[in-house]
Amino acid sequence: MKTELAKLPPYNTAGHLWKSLLFCLPMFLILFMFLSGGRPDFSDIKFTVSFLIVFILFNYLFFKILYTGKTDRYRSVIFILYAVFLSFIFILNMFETRDAMTFNSADMLQCNIPFCHLVISMILIPAALTNSIIFPGNIMGGFAPITSMIVIWGLSSLAIGKGFCSWGCFYGGWEDGFSRIRKKAKLKNVNSLFRWFAFAVLLLVAISSAVMLSPTYCDWICPFKAVTEFEQVTSAETLIKTIIFSSLFAGLVVILPVLTKKRMQCTTLCPLGALNSFTNKINAFDIRINHEQCTQCRNCINACPTLSLDESSYKTGRAHFTCCKCGKCVDVCTKHAINYHIKGVPVNKAQSATRILFVFSAFLFLAIFASGSIQMGVYKIINLITTGSLS
Amino acid sequence: MKKIFTVLGFIWAAICLLIVLTMFPGLDSFSKQMAKLPFMKINPSLSGGDVAKTIEYESYTVNIHKPVFAALIGESSRGFVQVEWIWKDSIPVPVYDSVDFNMDLTTDFIIEIDPLNDTIKIVSLQNNVGEIEASARTGNGWIARIGLINEAKLE
Repeated sequence: MKTELAKLPPYNTAGHLWKSLLFCLPMFLILFMFLSGGRPDFSDIKFTVSFLIVFILFNYLFFKILYTGKTDRYRSVIFILYAVFLSFIFILNMFETRDAMTFNSADMLQCNIPFCHLVISMILIPAALTNSIIFPGNIMGGFAPITSMIVIWGLSSLAIGKGFCSWGCFYGGWEDGFSRIRKKAKLKNVNSLFRWFAFAVLLLVAISSAVMLSPTYCDWICPFKAVTEFEQVTSAETLIKTIIFSSLFAGLVVILPVLTKKRMQCTTLCPLGALNSFTNKINAFDIRINHEQCTQCRNCINACPTLSLDESSYKTGRAHFTCCKCGKCVDVCTKHAINYHIKGVPVNKAQSATRILFVFSAFLFLAIFASGSIQMGVYKIINLITTGSLS
Repeated sequence: MKKIFTVLGFIWAAICLLIVLTMFPGLDSFSKQMAKLPFMKINPSLSGGDVAKTIEYESYTVNIHKPVFAALIGESSRGFVQVEWIWKDSIPVPVYDSVDFNMDLTTDFIIEIDPLNDTIKIVSLQNNVGEIEASARTGNGWIARIGLINEAKLE
């Protein structure tokens, strides 16, 4: 560990206890403010315990990111927890309000379907041409309103670009989790051309949704209905839909990520992932390879979960625009040749400051976005242990 | 020049951090502003469109929506009209209604709802009125979408 740290560029927090703690202080204060709502009420012991668990965990992970110099290893802990707890809370909420994980035609006709960010890729063309949103949800108020999700996605895309897919998307955590189960990939050398599939899906669903005035990806394909909600099976059509999404969930979210150690659904099927790739173009941060230090060992190519690095990256010195800035390539590079980078800044300059700026922004976004679900999930588990009931 | 780009790059990165810091405290306010945008309304093909007429009965209220012929551009040749029955005090009552959705003073269809057996029937009295496309019992009433043919489009 010590020899590895010695190779790191200067001004790095890695291995520097006091410097790491100093950089943790603003995160500590900001997280305390956001997680407690500014006015902490510790009269409820269960709330206090769940708050403390989440608050301490988040701060510990941020400290580890700074102190060890590893980003992805600790980011993924919150990212995966977020996916699991959000699904847990979501399904619980569905059972409390509807007595089922399914929604029926009354929910559809009354526009009571919670909005999710994946729909954004389908509403853009109809919004421009029909001046309306093609989703049966709530514009404001209710559970997961349309405006809030669009604001969060839009601003986070400005701040961290496609980093949203690794630091905010509560579906990505499922695949990220499954892709870490095996130590080594069973299926190696996945063709990097697969990353273009998602763009084809984006094109297809954007056009079909516009023509049919209905979010076709949600209706027919979205595998994450398996961990949130889905249409009640009442006809042959809904049965086919159920078979499609459950097969895609099993194949692209569970089996292939386990075998390839790649996020295959995000890479090949997610229309928002494809759309988010373009937000990398308007964002300050990207991933760059320093030619002087790089030995072309392929560690980064093998590690990249979204096939955003290939042989051509060594020539161009950058990751493809599909990169979701998870930091896995940065973590595995023993030569510290691949790093977070701010556009306009020379590649080998201010690497530590760049990493801290990106990681601070991205971690803060993830921590605040995820805190509600994780805290609520912990609260429910404490409730279950102490009273035998989740509610 | 390199220095200028470096400084500008870091300013840009700092702005990104500021965006994250303001995103959540300002979420309510940003959402309210966004809701005011002209395209921030649910497409009538999903919401059922605006209510054109409300009729009050002793035991329930009927909302008849404007006919919807939604299409990406212009109007489609087929559409629907949404009708909602809201039971007073949420007590289910049988319904037998003559509906004039286009307000031309002639009945377009007759609807019969039997809440005990959860059934809904339609008798179409005009050529442009089709079958029930979707219907559902809600917490306090019933919603139905009755298929329509866009006569203007056919002409």
